[in-house]
Amino acid sequence: MSMGNFERLLRLAARTEDQELSCTECFDVLPQYVDLEVAGGAPERQVPLFRQHLEQCAVCREEYEMVRELARLEAEGRSPSVDDLRRTL
Amino acid sequence: MVRRTNDEWVTALHGGDGEERALADLRTYVLRAALFSLQRARHYVGHLGSTDLAQLAEDCAQESMTAILQRLDTFRGESHFTTWAYTFAVNTALMAARRERWASVPLDHILDGTETPSLAAGDHGAIDPEKQALQAEAVVAIREGIEQLTVKQQQLLRAVVFEQVPLDEVVRRWGSNRNALYKLLHDARRKLKRDLRARGFDVDEIFDLFAVRA
Repeated sequence: MSMGNFERLLRLAARTEDQELSCTECFDVLPQYVDLEVAGGAPERQVPLFRQHLEQCAVCREEYEMVRELARLEAEGRSPSVDDLRRTL
Repeated sequence: MVRRTNDEWVTALHGGDGEERALADLRTYVLRAALFSLQRARHYVGHLGSTDLAQLAEDCAQESMTAILQRLDTFRGESHFTTWAYTFAVNTALMAARRERWASVPLDHILDGTETPSLAAGDHGAIDPEKQALQAEAVVAIREGIEQLTVKQQQLLRAVVFEQVPLDEVVRRWGSNRNALYKLLHDARRKLKRDLRARGFDVDEIFDLFAVRA
Protein backbone atom coordinates (compact mmCIF):
# COMPACT_ATOMS: atom_id res chain seq x y z
CA MET A 1 0.00 0.00 0.00
CA SER A 2 1.42 3.35 -0.93
CA MET A 3 1.55 6.18 1.57
CA GLY A 4 -1.35 7.80 -0.34
CA ASN A 5 -3.55 4.77 0.26
CA PHE A 6 -2.44 4.52 3.86
CA GLU A 7 -3.32 8.17 4.51
CA ARG A 8 -6.62 7.81 2.70
CA LEU A 9 -7.61 4.82 4.81
CA LEU A 10 -6.59 6.55 8.03
CA ARG A 11 -8.52 9.66 7.12
CA LEU A 12 -11.66 7.69 6.27
CA ALA A 13 -11.40 5.61 9.45
CA ALA A 14 -10.81 8.66 11.63
CA ARG A 15 -13.88 10.40 10.27
CA THR A 16 -16.16 7.39 10.59
CA GLU A 17 -19.27 7.93 12.70
CA ASP A 18 -21.54 5.27 14.18
CA GLN A 19 -24.51 6.80 12.37
CA GLU A 20 -24.02 8.03 8.81
CA LEU A 21 -26.38 9.03 6.03
CA SER A 22 -26.95 6.44 3.31
CA CYS A 23 -26.38 7.44 -0.32
CA THR A 24 -30.16 7.66 -0.86
CA GLU A 25 -30.54 9.95 2.17
CA CYS A 26 -27.67 12.05 0.83
CA PHE A 27 -29.35 12.27 -2.59
CA ASP A 28 -32.63 13.34 -0.95
CA VAL A 29 -31.13 16.22 1.06
CA LEU A 30 -28.57 17.30 -1.55
CA PRO A 31 -30.80 19.91 -3.32
CA GLN A 32 -31.81 21.49 -0.01
CA TYR A 33 -28.20 21.64 1.18
CA VAL A 34 -27.04 23.17 -2.11
CA ASP A 35 -29.75 25.82 -2.15
CA LEU A 36 -29.01 26.83 1.44
CA GLU A 37 -25.30 26.99 0.65
CA VAL A 38 -25.79 29.02 -2.55
CA ALA A 39 -28.07 31.41 -0.64
CA GLY A 40 -25.26 31.96 1.90
CA GLY A 41 -26.98 30.13 4.75
CA ALA A 42 -25.63 27.57 7.21
CA PRO A 43 -26.68 24.28 5.63
CA GLU A 44 -24.71 22.06 8.02
CA ARG A 45 -26.97 23.05 10.89
CA GLN A 46 -30.11 22.26 8.95
CA VAL A 47 -28.80 19.20 7.14
CA PRO A 48 -26.51 17.46 9.64
CA LEU A 49 -24.24 14.58 8.59
CA PHE A 50 -24.41 15.58 4.92
CA ARG A 51 -20.81 16.85 4.85
CA GLN A 52 -19.63 13.79 6.75
CA HIS A 53 -21.19 11.53 4.09
CA LEU A 54 -19.47 13.50 1.33
CA GLU A 55 -16.11 12.98 3.03
CA GLN A 56 -16.67 9.23 2.90
CA CYS A 57 -18.36 8.87 -0.48
CA ALA A 58 -16.53 10.06 -3.60
CA VAL A 59 -19.43 9.49 -6.00
CA CYS A 60 -21.93 11.48 -3.91
CA ARG A 61 -19.30 14.21 -3.44
CA GLU A 62 -18.75 14.50 -7.17
CA GLU A 63 -22.49 14.80 -7.79
CA TYR A 64 -22.89 17.39 -5.04
CA GLU A 65 -20.11 19.54 -6.55
CA MET A 66 -21.73 19.43 -9.98
CA VAL A 67 -25.22 20.31 -8.70
CA ARG A 68 -23.75 23.12 -6.60
CA GLU A 69 -22.03 24.58 -9.65
CA LEU A 70 -25.22 24.42 -11.72
CA ALA A 71 -27.28 25.98 -8.90
CA ARG A 72 -24.71 28.76 -8.44
CA LEU A 73 -24.73 29.62 -12.12
CA GLU A 74 -28.52 29.61 -12.08
CA ALA A 75 -28.67 31.90 -9.02
CA GLU A 76 -26.28 34.30 -10.74
CA GLY A 77 -28.30 34.21 -13.96
CA ARG A 78 -25.35 32.71 -15.82
CA SER A 79 -26.67 29.25 -16.69
CA PRO A 80 -25.03 28.01 -19.90
CA SER A 81 -27.39 27.41 -22.79
CA VAL A 82 -27.89 23.93 -24.17
CA ASP A 83 -26.58 25.09 -27.55
CA ASP A 84 -23.39 26.51 -26.02
CA LEU A 85 -22.80 23.32 -24.08
CA ARG A 86 -23.31 21.18 -27.17
CA ARG A 87 -20.80 23.33 -29.07
CA THR A 88 -18.14 22.88 -26.41
CA LEU A 89 -18.44 19.11 -26.03
CA MET B 1 -38.23 29.89 -20.57
CA VAL B 2 -41.07 30.57 -18.11
CA ARG B 3 -40.03 31.29 -14.51
CA ARG B 4 -42.16 29.23 -12.15
CA THR B 5 -42.58 28.78 -8.43
CA ASN B 6 -42.22 25.27 -7.05
CA ASP B 7 -46.01 24.92 -6.85
CA GLU B 8 -46.39 26.07 -10.44
CA TRP B 9 -43.88 23.47 -11.61
CA VAL B 10 -45.56 20.63 -9.74
CA THR B 11 -49.09 21.65 -10.75
CA ALA B 12 -48.19 22.00 -14.42
CA LEU B 13 -46.29 18.70 -14.49
CA HIS B 14 -49.24 16.98 -12.85
CA GLY B 15 -51.30 17.80 -15.94
CA GLY B 16 -52.32 21.35 -15.07
CA ASP B 17 -52.33 24.38 -17.33
CA GLY B 18 -49.19 24.69 -19.37
CA GLU B 19 -48.14 21.06 -18.95
CA GLU B 20 -46.62 20.83 -22.41
CA ARG B 21 -44.56 23.98 -21.90
CA ALA B 22 -43.45 22.84 -18.46
CA LEU B 23 -42.33 19.48 -19.86
CA ALA B 24 -40.35 21.23 -22.60
CA ASP B 25 -38.73 23.57 -20.05
CA LEU B 26 -37.93 20.71 -17.69
CA ARG B 27 -36.31 18.86 -20.57
CA THR B 28 -34.12 21.90 -21.22
CA TYR B 29 -33.04 21.95 -17.56
CA VAL B 30 -32.14 18.28 -17.41
CA LEU B 31 -30.40 18.30 -20.79
CA ARG B 32 -28.35 21.30 -19.65
CA ALA B 33 -27.35 19.45 -16.48
CA ALA B 34 -26.47 16.29 -18.42
CA LEU B 35 -24.37 18.18 -20.99
CA PHE B 36 -22.70 20.22 -18.25
CA SER B 37 -21.87 17.09 -16.24
CA LEU B 38 -20.41 15.24 -19.21
CA GLN B 39 -18.41 18.30 -20.24
CA ARG B 40 -16.93 18.53 -16.74
CA ALA B 41 -16.39 14.78 -16.46
CA ARG B 42 -13.71 14.63 -19.14
CA HIS B 43 -11.66 12.37 -16.89
CA TYR B 44 -14.34 9.72 -17.50
CA VAL B 45 -15.48 10.39 -21.07
CA GLY B 46 -12.48 12.03 -22.72
CA HIS B 47 -12.25 9.11 -25.16
CA LEU B 48 -15.72 9.84 -26.60
CA GLY B 49 -16.27 12.17 -29.54
CA SER B 50 -18.71 15.09 -29.45
CA THR B 51 -21.45 13.20 -31.33
CA ASP B 52 -21.33 10.30 -28.89
CA LEU B 53 -21.27 12.68 -25.93
CA ALA B 54 -24.26 14.63 -27.25
CA GLN B 55 -26.17 11.36 -27.72
CA LEU B 56 -25.21 10.20 -24.25
CA ALA B 57 -26.49 13.50 -22.83
CA GLU B 58 -29.79 13.08 -24.68
CA ASP B 59 -30.18 9.55 -23.31
CA CYS B 60 -29.40 10.73 -19.78
CA ALA B 61 -31.87 13.62 -20.11
CA GLN B 62 -34.59 11.21 -21.19
CA GLU B 63 -33.84 8.84 -18.32
CA SER B 64 -33.85 11.76 -15.86
CA MET B 65 -37.19 13.07 -17.14
CA THR B 66 -38.74 9.66 -16.51
CA ALA B 67 -37.26 9.45 -13.00
CA ILE B 68 -38.36 13.00 -12.12
CA LEU B 69 -41.92 12.50 -13.31
CA GLN B 70 -42.16 9.16 -11.50
CA ARG B 71 -40.97 10.76 -8.26
CA LEU B 72 -42.80 14.06 -8.58
CA ASP B 73 -44.94 13.26 -5.52
CA THR B 74 -41.81 12.92 -3.38
CA PHE B 75 -40.75 16.54 -4.02
CA ARG B 76 -41.22 18.23 -0.64
CA GLY B 77 -40.46 21.78 -1.69
CA GLU B 78 -37.37 22.06 0.55
CA SER B 79 -35.30 23.29 -2.40
CA HIS B 80 -35.91 24.98 -5.71
CA PHE B 81 -37.65 22.57 -8.03
CA THR B 82 -34.93 23.13 -10.60
CA THR B 83 -32.15 22.18 -8.13
CA TRP B 84 -34.10 19.03 -7.31
CA ALA B 85 -34.36 18.25 -11.05
CA TYR B 86 -30.64 18.96 -11.58
CA THR B 87 -29.83 16.37 -8.91
CA PHE B 88 -31.49 13.62 -10.95
CA ALA B 89 -29.82 14.67 -14.20
CA VAL B 90 -26.35 15.01 -12.67
CA ASN B 91 -26.69 11.63 -10.94
CA THR B 92 -27.76 9.94 -14.19
CA ALA B 93 -25.08 11.62 -16.31
CA LEU B 94 -22.21 10.96 -13.90
CA MET B 95 -23.25 7.34 -13.43
CA ALA B 96 -23.22 6.94 -17.22
CA ALA B 97 -19.84 8.69 -17.46
CA ARG B 98 -18.29 6.47 -14.80
CA ARG B 99 -19.64 3.40 -16.58
CA GLU B 100 -18.04 4.63 -19.83
CA ARG B 101 -14.69 5.00 -18.11
CA TRP B 102 -14.63 1.78 -16.11
CA ALA B 103 -16.73 -0.75 -18.06
CA SER B 104 -13.76 -2.22 -19.94
CA VAL B 105 -11.25 -2.09 -17.08
CA PRO B 106 -10.50 -5.57 -15.69
CA LEU B 107 -11.24 -5.62 -11.97
CA ASP B 108 -11.83 -9.32 -11.34
CA HIS B 109 -8.48 -9.65 -9.58
CA ILE B 110 -9.76 -7.14 -7.01
CA LEU B 111 -13.49 -7.81 -6.85
CA ASP B 112 -13.23 -11.60 -6.90
CA GLY B 113 -9.77 -11.87 -5.38
CA THR B 114 -9.10 -13.27 -1.94
CA GLU B 115 -5.78 -11.54 -1.45
CA THR B 116 -5.75 -9.30 1.60
CA PRO B 117 -4.88 -5.73 0.61
CA SER B 118 -1.20 -5.28 1.29
CA LEU B 119 0.02 -2.72 3.75
CA ALA B 120 3.74 -2.39 3.42
CA ALA B 121 5.50 -0.83 6.38
CA GLY B 122 7.73 1.42 4.34
CA ASP B 123 9.64 4.54 5.21
CA HIS B 124 7.12 7.00 6.56
CA GLY B 125 9.65 9.66 7.24
CA ALA B 126 10.33 9.13 10.95
CA ILE B 127 13.86 9.85 12.05
CA ASP B 128 13.37 9.27 15.75
CA PRO B 129 13.85 5.47 16.33
CA GLU B 130 11.11 5.44 18.97
CA LYS B 131 8.68 7.11 16.59
CA GLN B 132 9.76 4.75 13.83
CA ALA B 133 8.98 1.75 16.06
CA LEU B 134 5.55 3.17 16.89
CA GLN B 135 4.86 3.72 13.20
CA ALA B 136 5.75 0.12 12.40
CA GLU B 137 3.48 -1.03 15.22
CA ALA B 138 0.63 1.09 13.90
CA VAL B 139 1.07 -0.29 10.38
CA VAL B 140 0.93 -3.85 11.76
CA ALA B 141 -2.20 -2.97 13.75
CA ILE B 142 -3.90 -1.59 10.67
CA ARG B 143 -2.82 -4.53 8.53
CA GLU B 144 -4.19 -6.98 11.09
CA GLY B 145 -7.35 -4.90 11.35
CA ILE B 146 -7.87 -5.26 7.60
CA GLU B 147 -7.30 -9.00 7.86
CA GLN B 148 -10.17 -9.20 10.35
CA LEU B 149 -12.62 -7.78 7.80
CA THR B 150 -14.80 -10.10 5.71
CA VAL B 151 -13.56 -11.02 2.22
CA LYS B 152 -16.25 -8.80 0.66
CA GLN B 153 -15.25 -5.87 2.86
CA GLN B 154 -11.60 -6.36 1.92
CA GLN B 155 -12.46 -6.52 -1.79
CA LEU B 156 -14.56 -3.38 -1.54
CA LEU B 157 -11.97 -1.53 0.52
CA ARG B 158 -9.27 -2.41 -1.97
CA ALA B 159 -11.37 -1.35 -4.96
CA VAL B 160 -12.92 1.87 -3.64
CA VAL B 161 -10.33 3.16 -1.16
CA PHE B 162 -7.04 1.90 -2.59
CA GLU B 163 -7.73 1.67 -6.33
CA GLN B 164 -10.31 4.49 -6.27
CA VAL B 165 -12.81 2.60 -8.39
CA PRO B 166 -16.14 4.49 -8.23
CA LEU B 167 -18.64 2.81 -5.93
CA ASP B 168 -21.12 2.74 -8.86
CA GLU B 169 -18.83 0.46 -10.84
CA VAL B 170 -18.62 -2.07 -8.02
CA VAL B 171 -22.42 -1.78 -7.64
CA ARG B 172 -22.78 -2.60 -11.34
CA ARG B 173 -20.41 -5.56 -11.27
CA TRP B 174 -21.77 -7.07 -8.09
CA GLY B 175 -25.41 -6.42 -9.04
CA SER B 176 -25.89 -4.53 -5.79
CA ASN B 177 -26.91 -0.97 -4.92
CA ARG B 178 -25.10 2.07 -3.56
CA ASN B 179 -26.72 1.94 -0.13
CA ALA B 180 -25.78 -1.69 0.45
CA LEU B 181 -22.14 -1.21 -0.55
CA TYR B 182 -21.82 2.08 1.34
CA LYS B 183 -23.09 0.21 4.43
CA LEU B 184 -20.59 -2.62 3.85
CA LEU B 185 -17.78 -0.08 3.69
CA HIS B 186 -19.16 1.85 6.67
CA ASP B 187 -19.18 -1.33 8.75
CA ALA B 188 -15.59 -2.03 7.66
CA ARG B 189 -14.43 1.48 8.63
CA ARG B 190 -16.19 1.26 11.99
CA LYS B 191 -14.61 -2.12 12.70
CA LEU B 192 -11.19 -0.86 11.71
CA LYS B 193 -11.55 2.18 13.96
CA ARG B 194 -12.76 0.01 16.86
CA ASP B 195 -9.96 -2.55 16.38
CA LEU B 196 -7.33 0.16 16.39
CA ARG B 197 -8.74 1.60 19.60
CA ALA B 198 -8.88 -1.86 21.18
CA ARG B 199 -5.16 -2.22 20.42
CA GLY B 200 -4.48 1.01 22.23
CA PHE B 201 -4.27 3.22 19.15
CA ASP B 202 -6.43 6.23 18.69
CA VAL B 203 -6.82 7.11 15.03
CA ASP B 204 -6.04 10.75 15.76
CA GLU B 205 -2.77 9.69 17.44
CA ILE B 206 -1.84 7.66 14.36
CA PHE B 207 -2.56 10.77 12.32
CA ASP B 208 -0.04 12.65 14.43
CA LEU B 209 2.44 9.78 14.31
CA PHE B 210 2.45 9.83 10.52
CA ALA B 211 1.95 13.61 10.34
CA VAL B 212 -1.22 13.08 8.31
CA ARG B 213 -3.19 16.29 8.00
CA ALA B 214 -6.66 15.75 9.48
